[in-house]
Order: sequence, then structure tokens, then C-alpha cells
Amino acid sequence: MRWLSFLVAATCLALSFVLAWRLVQVQETLPPHPSDARQLLKPTFRPVLVPGSTPEQPHATTWDLVPIGPGVVQFYIGLDGLNIWLVVLTGVLMLPAVLVSWRHITERVHEFFAWLLLLQTAMLGIFLAFDIVLFYVFFELSLVPLFFLIGIWGGPERRHAARKFFIYTLAGSVLTLLGVIAVVLACYERHGELTFSLPRLVEIVHSRLGLDSPEERAYWGNVQFWVFLALTAGFAVKVPLVPLHTWLPLAHVEAPTAGSVDLAGVLLKVGAYGFLRLCVPLAPDASLGLGLPLVTGLAAIGVLYGAYCAYSQDDIKKLVAYSSVSHLGVCMLGMFALNVVGVAGSLMQMVNHGLSTAGLFLLVGMLYERYHTRKISDFGGLAARLPLLGCFMVFICLSSVGLPGLNGFIGEALVLLGIFEHQWARGQFPWLAVIGASGMVLGAWYLMTMLQRVFFGPVREPTVAGHDGPSRDLSLREVATLAPVAILCVVIGVYPQPMLDAMRSEVQVIADIAQRARERMAAVPAVAERSFGPGEARAEGLQGGPGR
Amino acid sequence: MSELRGYLWLVPGLPLLAAALTALAGPRLLRRHSHWPCILASLAAGVLSMMVLAAVAGGGEAVERYDTWFAIGGLDVGVTLRADGLSAIMLVTVTLVGSLIAIYSVGYMAGDPGYARYFAIIALFIFSMTGLVLASNFFLLFAFWEGVGLCSYLLVGFWFLKPAAAAAARKAFLVTRLGDVGFILGILLIWSGFVYPHDPARFPGGSRIEDPTTGVVLLGHAVDYDTVFRGAEAQAPGLLAAVCLLLLCGAVGKSAQFPLSVWLPDAMEGPSPVSALIHAATMVTAGVYLVARSLPLFSAAPLYVPLTVAVLGTGTAMWAALIALTQNDLKRVLAYSTISQLGYMFLALGSATTKGLAAVAAVAAIFHLVTHAFFKALLFLGAGSVMHAMGNVIDMRRLGGLRHVLPITHVTFLCGAAALAGVPLLSGFWSKDEILGVAWAAGQTGQPFQSVYRVLFAVGLLTAGLTAFYTFRAYFLTFWGDERLPPEAGHHAHESPWVMTVPLVILAGGAVVAGLVLEPLTHWMSRLLGEHWLVMFGLALSGEALNHRWGVMALSSLVALAGVGLAWWLYGADLRREMVHRLAQRFPSLYEASLNKFYVDELYAFFIVAPMTALAAFCRIFDQYIVDSLVDLMGHVPGLVGRLLRPIQNGLVQFYALAMMLGLTVFLGALVWRLAR
Repeated sequence: MRWLSFLVAATCLALSFVLAWRLVQVQETLPPHPSDARQLLKPTFRPVLVPGSTPEQPHATTWDLVPIGPGVVQFYIGLDGLNIWLVVLTGVLMLPAVLVSWRHITERVHEFFAWLLLLQTAMLGIFLAFDIVLFYVFFELSLVPLFFLIGIWGGPERRHAARKFFIYTLAGSVLTLLGVIAVVLACYERHGELTFSLPRLVEIVHSRLGLDSPEERAYWGNVQFWVFLALTAGFAVKVPLVPLHTWLPLAHVEAPTAGSVDLAGVLLKVGAYGFLRLCVPLAPDASLGLGLPLVTGLAAIGVLYGAYCAYSQDDIKKLVAYSSVSHLGVCMLGMFALNVVGVAGSLMQMVNHGLSTAGLFLLVGMLYERYHTRKISDFGGLAARLPLLGCFMVFICLSSVGLPGLNGFIGEALVLLGIFEHQWARGQFPWLAVIGASGMVLGAWYLMTMLQRVFFGPVREPTVAGHDGPSRDLSLREVATLAPVAILCVVIGVYPQPMLDAMRSEVQVIADIAQRARERMAAVPAVAERSFGPGEARAEGLQGGPGR
Repeated sequence: MSELRGYLWLVPGLPLLAAALTALAGPRLLRRHSHWPCILASLAAGVLSMMVLAAVAGGGEAVERYDTWFAIGGLDVGVTLRADGLSAIMLVTVTLVGSLIAIYSVGYMAGDPGYARYFAIIALFIFSMTGLVLASNFFLLFAFWEGVGLCSYLLVGFWFLKPAAAAAARKAFLVTRLGDVGFILGILLIWSGFVYPHDPARFPGGSRIEDPTTGVVLLGHAVDYDTVFRGAEAQAPGLLAAVCLLLLCGAVGKSAQFPLSVWLPDAMEGPSPVSALIHAATMVTAGVYLVARSLPLFSAAPLYVPLTVAVLGTGTAMWAALIALTQNDLKRVLAYSTISQLGYMFLALGSATTKGLAAVAAVAAIFHLVTHAFFKALLFLGAGSVMHAMGNVIDMRRLGGLRHVLPITHVTFLCGAAALAGVPLLSGFWSKDEILGVAWAAGQTGQPFQSVYRVLFAVGLLTAGLTAFYTFRAYFLTFWGDERLPPEAGHHAHESPWVMTVPLVILAGGAVVAGLVLEPLTHWMSRLLGEHWLVMFGLALSGEALNHRWGVMALSSLVALAGVGLAWWLYGADLRREMVHRLAQRFPSLYEASLNKFYVDELYAFFIVAPMTALAAFCRIFDQYIVDSLVDLMGHVPGLVGRLLRPIQNGLVQFYALAMMLGLTVFLGALVWRLAR
């Protein structure tokens, strides 16, 4: 069973790399997107390698799922610059997740790996789906395996954690469903075309937004406002943005290591990815007018708040969980800069955070396997006892604090550049960039303090009941678990250009969408001010957010 | 494309290779021989650096773009290395001192369980430092800048089982990173804020932008040196000042200047060769290098920017010298003197108030940087040699009269001390003299702040006296007086092995003659910097500015010799040391303040660290009890509603029938009432 899951994970990994390579090849043959926003007629996604596509329509599919008419709900999956690296990330992290559970899981082994593989299916589905219903199905599907992973193989409070995680995120995503339906119906009502294809929806929304009639404008302003709120409700819980994050530390602490790895590494990206894939393209004006102040504000608070919370935790796993809040705050800051550099940085940050946080969770899991505790105050000087583990820990921590040459820096630098440019170009004081940059120091503060307490200083090992002899350093299997993560950290840090090249054209699409929204806002400032004034927006957003 | 392209990348490349090799193969295969890759690579890098220097001196300055690091949208960060006068001089200094210290470490670190780890990090450091001086854009510079910080972190905490070392490592990393926030914001501001006329030939790094209001086509979004520095004059003064001050934040952190100087003395917890290489000769000078490199920006900025640099530098120089007067730990005396000497370099750079002075200031600062690298590395290695012989005791109160026990260490240390004190004709004398000369000249320009510069000159002169005094105080306390050996030294305290003394002798030679050879005799330094670096950015070095000011020279010699003499009179023999004690007891508050570093650490702990920690604890509690409780409260709402409604489902058929009847009645009643209206 273990070997089967290992093989599946390895195949998936190999496949994802092959896909990435194919995508780069295909992108070279495609006509490039015109870089000037005004020349771009259809600002929408163009997924490639779509199964079931015809030569006439290479970016659409013919595989219908629900027989209520052609092209309504379809099994529409594809690759483009936004999802390719997240797909690869999912593949990369599956292998360590399987390997780290090799010995750790002793009960109901078959079930465990079944849920783990189903989780991977769901996550890949979310990233690959271009049909909005398919996306939602996978989105909800991802909750189920994780619920069982936490609830069955978790720590002492696993039931509470699993339930809280499930209900919290479900409450958010029910609202997401509402938003999704609203867009489809609005397009049906105004355009007379019932479709669930995401690229088509984005196209319709933009063609309607381009019309110059006050009535149409008011209608779509309204639709976008509610759609944005509904979608945000689901995604903000997933990211998580700050007041909605409390399920995360609990779920992480209780989840088995493999669950934490996938939860932090991949599943948190679903929220950010949803913002990028659905929110911004389907509700561009609302994203700009309402999302920008709301999301960047919450993200900036999250950067600082998450870091401060992380510092004072005694449980290493909780510390890492709160560091995710801080790092994803940085990611959202970059995304809502809504320019090429910022969005690219945000995507890089997603992948990088996935790698380094997964690495940290793996290491914490290995510590826990040895000592059956994760309390910082129980440890001291472990680098002398477990030199290899200490080495990996220092390395991953450095990647997490954004040391140049390792992966974290590229994402952070691009995000900071993007958000700085965004505010500077509008004559504002770049305080968001200042907060993002101070996140770099705070990140170093809590991680270095943790390192100092746990790995340096005089040796202090907790005594473990029923343990024979001193703890051993990493085994070959554990090194094999960590090595892919560590190697990718260096590769991305030193040579990120292939990743950036592959995402370039889609990032340009997002930036164009935002640019059009800016131009519309500039054309009718009064309307924009009225419907999405920041003060009103914030109050609305907070009400819509917490759900139940 | 020049001939340099073929081997320029090897200068950082070879040490990187050595680092990787040692890290992977060291603990298992190389073991006692782990030093070979590091030493061979740094020697080879040294030879290549000499070749670079020769090529540059022959007019072969080059900017070589090897690859793209990351580029998207308007951003384009290349892996671009630059060989010009400044980087060539820095390269030679770094690799030369680095090689000598690596050789010395073979003796010093012998038998340490982390032998391979040590040499792997040293090689990594030489890679980062050479990369730092070769980088030709701000992002690459920042990357190597953080790289040397990482090496410093790893080496300060090298003996990580010592709690003091672990704490010092974290402190060094965090304090410098605090400065780096300013640095990165400065880079962001350069990228976003600076615009250049549309002239791709002159500004190779910019990308085309349009002014949104006027539609004028411009260049912007550049981070490479050539574009940014050549365009300095075109920027708005306020913007330029902001950029300079932000870059200065980074420099202040790395070079341990006043508000952020607290990490350097603690960093002495690392092995002594590390203190010599990283915390004296090379890494800490990166801040000086950054400001010198950005001098085209600083000299174009409003006058209060250089003034800030100068005041900060002079203040730090004086302040650190005052602390060094009373320290009992030999390495700490040297650490504070490093801070003080770096302050001198900032004074020089801050004196760049006119175009003409800017060039002289750069030469003076870099000259002092080079000579300081030699004599300070020498002093630290000498202190290391003392520690090696004395069983790691470095408290000067427990040592004394070591000149017979450690004859070679004694003589070489004396050379270094004399050079640091500015004894005439030694290398420190010439470079310090140039700095004071620039400060003097800045006081004579007729510009608004010239009177401030006169004060700074006086303070600098006074600090020179203090420097001579505390240096020789440490020297006399350690090597003169009655012979006192700590018990840790064992019965056969002896001179260090030849791998340690040979580097000492070579560095001592450098400390004695380098200053004389490099500048007053040959003017190599100023010619190289002037013709092959400054002139690229429109800063010309006039011959007249370099003439020595005999008055300044005489004054500084006098002050230095007075300091040395006073130290000799007070500490040359044991009998007068009593007098010093009595003096200290007469002014206990002054003495205590200096001994306790003016309580800066305590102030920071109280005003910064404690509030931060408290805020973190508050956030944790707030999150756990307020935010999460609110969520749980929301979670209870459905349950509560359910509990309210539960009594209705009581399972009594009579009750259900009654409810049905009542409901039907109300419904029918409403219907009838509605129809009747």
C-alpha cells in the first residue's frame, strides 16, 4: 500500500514536470498576447493541453458532464501560466507527504493513503479546472479527505479540530457557491448564454463591462459587488486573511504531518489561487475598488499580527502555522498590487511558501516522532544531537525568512516591488511595502529565536517514555523526504527565470484586466466612489466574512 | 566583451565550489584536510583578483552580464559583474586577507569537531564577499549582502553550544536585518521613483515608461549601477535624499554604526580568525563600500545627506573610542576600535560636499578601508594567538608581560597597534591623515554646514588621540608589566605554530608599509580609483586636492604620539596602574558608563525588545481568547437556536395535533380576513 502510494505520487510528480515542460513548449508556439492593454480584445484565459479540445478551438473542451445542453457543465481542465507551478508544487509535495507517513502511520494504513491520494486528486482538480462548477466540486471535495485525515490520525484534540476546520471552511465556501451562481445567472440574463466555462464567463463579463450604457454599468456594478463579497467569503477563510484564520493553527497542530504538509503547502494556496482565478477576472471593478483596500489592509495586518503571534508560541507547529498567516499576507499584498510584478511575485510566493512551510512541517514532524513533544521549552542544543536535522532546519528557516539565493527571496522581492510601485505610482506613501519589508525582519525574529532555543545552546532533550537509547539522526528515508524540497529551494532561488517566463502571459492578462478596471474607474469616478467607498466596503466585508 | 569575461566569474566561483565540496565531502572524507579546498580556492581567487586589478589598471574596466537572475514586467535583474577600480581594490584586499586568515585558521581551529564546517563557511563567505564587491546591480548586491550576513550568523554561532554564542549570532543577524529593511526600501524607491531621460545609450538598464499625465516618454525601473548613478543628477532632491538615507540604514547596520552598533562587540563570541576576517577586515566594511559605491547619489543629494553621514560617523567614532578606553577584554577593545575606525570612514564619505571633494573623500575612505583591513586583521589574529597560548583567556586583567612568552606575536601585534594608533609613516597614519584632511577641507568650502565640519574635524582629531591611547593601553596591559599567566594556559605556554605566525608576519609587513607604498609614494590608489571608477560617474579627481596638508599631518602625529606616550606612562609598568584605579574611583559614574557601553544594550532591551515581546504575548492571548472565542461563539449560534426550538418537538401526538389545529385556524383566519377586505 505504501509502495503503491509512493509510486502514484512519484508518477504524479514526473507527470507534472512533463506537463510543465510541454506547457513551455506550447507557449512558444502560441501567438503572444499583445502587451498593450488596449490592443487586447479578449482579456481572458487561454488554457492549453485541454483534453477533449478540437483543432478549431484549442482552448475549449467538448467533454460534457451534465446533459442539459452542449457546453454547459463540462469536464474542462487545462494548463496555463497561473496553475502550472501550483500543479507541480502539488506533485512535489505529495512525495514527502507519503514518505513521512511511512512509519508514522501505523493504524488503518490503507485508509490513510487512500484519503491522502484523494486529497491530491481534489487539489489537482481545483488548480486544473476551468469549468466553474467543476472547480467548485473539487473545492468542496478537498475538505472531505482532510477532515478524515485530521479526525482519525490527528492529535489529542483531533475531533474538535476536524469539525472546526470543516464547518469554518464550508461556511465560507457555501457563500462562494452563491457568488459563482450569481455570475453565471447574470451572464445568462444579460447575454443570453448559459455557460459555466470560466474563460467564456470572463469574456462575457468584459464584453458587457465594455458597453457604454449607464444602466448596464449600474447593473454590473451591483453584480460585481455581491459576487466579490461572496467569492471573498470563501477564499478569505482559505487563505486565511486575518480575522478568519483561527481554524488554521488548530487544524495544523492536530493534523498528522502529511496532512499539515498538504494543508499548508497546497490547500492554503487554493484561497489565494481562487482570488486570482475567479475574483479578479469576474469582478474586476469590485476587486479594484473594494478588494484592494480591504484585502491589502487585512493582509498587511496579517503580516504583522501573524508574526507577533508566531513569536510567542511555545509549540513549534503552531509557530509555523502562524508564520503561514504572515507569509500569505505578503502573498495577498502582491496579488492586490494588481500589476505584473506584484501578481508574479504573489504566484512565486505561493509556491515558495508551499515549499518552505512544508519543509518546516516535515522537520517538526520528525522531531515529534523522536521526542513526542513539540514544545520549544522542552528542547535545547539539538544541533549537537541531530546535526543533519539541525542543518535542514536552519536551511529551511533561511529559505522561509527570504534569504537571497533561496526561493523565499524571489517572491518577497517581487511582491515588495509590485506593491511599492502600485502605491508610488498613485502618489501614496508606500506603507504597504514598509509593512511587507518589516515582515522580513519579524520573520527572522521568530524563526531565529526558535532556532536558538531549540537547536543551539546547552543540550536539553526531553525524556521519552518507552524509548530505547538516544535519538538517531535522520535516516536515509527522511533525507529523501526532505531533499526534493531543499533542492527546489535552491533551484528556484538561483534560477527562477523559467518559472517567471512560463507565467508571464497569464500574469499579463490579470494585469490587463486590472488596467481596464482602472480606466473604467477613472472614467466614472463618482459611481465608483459611491458603490465601493472604502469605509462602507470595509464594514460590509467584515460582515460578509466571518460566516459562522 | 572583454578578456575579463572569461575569468571574472571564477573569482567568486572558485570559493563557492570549495564551499560546496567541503560541505559535502568534508565531515566524512576530508576531515583533517578540510582546509585544502578553502585555502586553494581563496589563493586562486587572490591570483585572479590580481589579474583583474592589472587588467583594470590597464584600462580594461568591464561590466559583464552573464545571465538573467529574474526578469518580469519592467523588472530586469541580471547576473552582472563589474570590474572597475573600486571592485578590483576590494577584491584584492578580500582575497588576500581571506587567504592569510584561512591559513592561520589551520593552526587555530586544529582539532575542533566542526573543522570541516568552519572551512566550508569561510569559503562561502569569501564567495559572498567577492560577489558583493563585483555585483553591478542593487539586487545582486543585496543578495550577496545577505549572504555575508548569513556567514556571519553561522560563524558567530559557530560554537553553538555556548549560550552566549547562540544569542550573539541571532543578535547579529537581526540587528543587521533591521538595517536591511531600509536598504531594500531604498532599492524599491530607486526602482519605482527614479526616472531618466529617454536615452538608452547612456542609461542601458531602464525600461520605457510614459509619464501618465504628460505622455512624455522616459526611462525608468532600473536597478543597475550605470543607469542609476549616471541619472543621479536628474532626480528630485527630496527623492534622492530619501534614497540615500534608506541606503545609509543598510550601511549603518552592516558597518555597526551608532544606533545599530550593538551586535558587533557580541559577535566576538565567534572564533578569533572569524573576528579578524568578517568582523574587522571585510564584511563590516561592506557598509562603507555601499556608501562609497553610491557616492554619485550621495554627492548629488542635498547637503544635509552627507552631513548626516559625517555626523553619524564621527559620533560613532568618538563614542566607540570612549567605550574602548575601559574594556578589559582584549577582543572587545579591538571590536570597539573597529566600530570607531568604520566611523572614520563614514566621516570621510560624509565630507563629500562638493564634486571635487567627493572624489577625494572616496579615495580617503577606501584607502583607510584597505589599510585598516591589514592592521585590524593582524591585531585580531594576534589576540587569537594570545588566546591560543593562554587557554582561551582574553581578559587583560588576568594576563601580563607576555612579550617573552610570545615573541613573534608581540612584535607583530606592536606593528598593528602602532599602525592603528597612527604612528607616523605606518599605514594607519597615512590613511587617517587623508580622512582628517578631507574633513578639514569640508570645513573650508564656504557651504552652509562648513562650521559643523570644523567641529567634526576637531572631534576626529581628538578621537585619533583616544585611539592611540586605548590601543597602547591594551598592548601594554597584555605584553608588558610583570609576567602573569592564567592557570588555563598550563605549564608550557608557548608561541603559536608557524601556520599561525607566518600570516601574522605577512600582515605585519602590510601594516607597516602598505600605506606608504599605496599612496604617498606611488599614488596607485588614487589613480586607480580616480581614473577607473570615479570618472565613469562624472566625479573627477584633481591633483591639487590630493596634496598633503602638512599642518593636519603634524597635528595628528602629535596627538597620536601623545596618546601612545600617555598609555606608556600609565600602563607601561605595574606601579602606575594603581593611579588609574584611583582615577576611576574618583569618577565612578563616568567609568561605569564607559565600562558598561553607555548602557545601550540595556536601553534597547527595555525600550525595544521588551515591548516587542510583550506585544507578541498580547497578540497570542488576544488571538486565543478574543478572536477565536468570537468564532466559537458564532459556532454556538445554531446550537442555541436548536435548543430554543427543541421543546417544540416533544413527541406528544396531542401537542402536535393542537399545533396543527392552531396553525390551520390562524391560516384560515388570515385567508378569510384577507378575502373579506
